Amino acid sequence: MGLDYRDFQAAAQEMIQSMIASGAVSKPGGGKYVLAVSSVVNDTMQHIDTDQLVKKMRVGLLRSGKVVVTTAVSANGAEDKMAMQTRKELRGNEEFKQSTVAKKGNMIAPDLSLSGKIIQRNIKIDRSTQQVEYYFQMTLTDINTGLAIWEDEQVIGKRGSNKSVAW
Amino acid sequence: MRFSSAVIIVSSLLLGGCATSSSPEPKGDSVVNVIKQECGNSEIIIKDIKGRKKPDGFMQVQVIGESNSNTYQRLEYRIVWFDKQGFTIDSILSKWRVVPAYAHQPFSINAVSPSTKAKTFRLYIRNEKEIICDKQDDGLE
Repeated sequence: MGLDYRDFQAAAQEMIQSMIASGAVSKPGGGKYVLAVSSVVNDTMQHIDTDQLVKKMRVGLLRSGKVVVTTAVSANGAEDKMAMQTRKELRGNEEFKQSTVAKKGNMIAPDLSLSGKIIQRNIKIDRSTQQVEYYFQMTLTDINTGLAIWEDEQVIGKRGSNKSVAW
Repeated sequence: MRFSSAVIIVSSLLLGGCATSSSPEPKGDSVVNVIKQECGNSEIIIKDIKGRKKPDGFMQVQVIGESNSNTYQRLEYRIVWFDKQGFTIDSILSKWRVVPAYAHQPFSINAVSPSTKAKTFRLYIRNEKEIICDKQDDGLE
């Protein structure tokens, strides 16, 4: 009754397709949007690594050719902490040729932010059967305006014995 | 659910870049009908497959079918996308996906290409019992 990789794959497929079909990732005039991944909240009763969903979406969006993802900005600071730390530590360090060190003011700020939530609802069907519904909700926000330019929800339902339902 | 047999089919849509055709490349939003004749079996009929290149460069495919079955059928479909050189474009959007076909009801499939590099596609539809449709068409009219 729990979520497996097929569920994350199916949810990611639907989300990517929905996002591309909506035109939200197609930058007017061409070019690529820079996307920052915000938080995906796990509001279920299971331990879920939300990166399973987010990573699939990131890969799909990157391959669309319309989006690049920044690892310098995320809900919990820089995702690639070493990249950020290295920039600072090497700058001014005489051991390194300074012309090869990343310069200030070169990093690209994100245009879009991807956030979401996974919700679980348990529904009792009869004395021995329950249905668990997982709601995958995602939002794409235009950071400049603060407006949500795309949103979608995918529902994955699973039915099984009461005994197998994780509360 | 286990699928004992598979494949189906369907089509290859060329929206430009076809070496064997002198037809002009359709502009954005041009709609190309991929099949002109229905295909399928006694229970599932694929009536229409059409595709278009959207103004933002992505391809969009729509498949219309109808179930003549008395029972619900769980169909699966997969679209493999190709670039203009005929190489497959690897994407999560090319994995098998489920489409429900309810008894005596029409159903549809809508898909977009994973990349603007997609120039052609091949569509496969299967159910758990048999091949539903086996038809290929170059798409250009």
